[in-house]
Amino acid sequence: MTTLKQKWFWYSIASAFCWAGFAITARFGSTELPANMMQFVAAFGFLAFGLVLFAARGFRLELNRRGALYGTIAGMLLGAGGLALYAAYRGGANTAVVTTATSLYPMFTVVLAVAFLHERITFRQSIGMVFAVAAIVILSF
Amino acid sequence: MHASWLWFSLLVLLFWGTLGIVQKVTTNIISAESALIWSVIGFLVLQPLLYGGPSPLHYTSHALAWALLNGVFNGLGAWTLMAAMSAGGKASLVMPITAMYPLLVVLVAPAIFHESITRLQAAGVACAMISVILISSDASHGHSQP
Repeated sequence: MTTLKQKWFWYSIASAFCWAGFAITARFGSTELPANMMQFVAAFGFLAFGLVLFAARGFRLELNRRGALYGTIAGMLLGAGGLALYAAYRGGANTAVVTTATSLYPMFTVVLAVAFLHERITFRQSIGMVFAVAAIVILSF
Repeated sequence: MHASWLWFSLLVLLFWGTLGIVQKVTTNIISAESALIWSVIGFLVLQPLLYGGPSPLHYTSHALAWALLNGVFNGLGAWTLMAAMSAGGKASLVMPITAMYPLLVVLVAPAIFHESITRLQAAGVACAMISVILISSDASHGHSQP
């Protein structure tokens, strides 16, 4: 099965579009709101989406203790990263620079994934990673 | 190099870089939907630490609407990302592909923010597109859950 026929790939593409919307609205909102207030108000939008998803699942939630713990930590990391992002947008650089600089995070993820999850990447994918880093660096100029 | 935006950007890399791993581990245990709901709880844990200064009503409804919409996009982005991982995508592939969103931002920034795209940035966009093709081209080989 080719990559284009795999569900995870299209979910990833959809996610990229959502993050683009996230970056644009973050830039708009943070021109007026300080980072802490931006994060405070955005949490209600996040909560609203979570409630819709919860209702769509018939208010069922998996209560696995480890899953719940990691999921909660993920939410805290997401929030902390968002807070730093809003502060970066308020730092004065233009949208493209901040957005591209902060999108470097997968490189950190890949290093951790290889180290802790024992995932492997091929040579071609490694070259792709180099291009991704190059793209982000170039776009930041 | 000492601009505040840069230091805050480095913090984003640290938090969201680690986040990718935590999301992958979470979706190995529970569904993407449950993971997102638990993430909402984690997100709300930070709320008491954030509330300070003037009331939200002190700000314009426009800015508050952007912030709320931002939260919805955050939820959508996080859910689709975890759904990708839950569907078998490796963290080392899903994260780079989803991180291509600056491409879209660079493309719309001139129209929305009146920021221009230089030739150098165009070269960066090309590099990013090549990287997506390379990273995804081998994904069908040796594709496995950790």
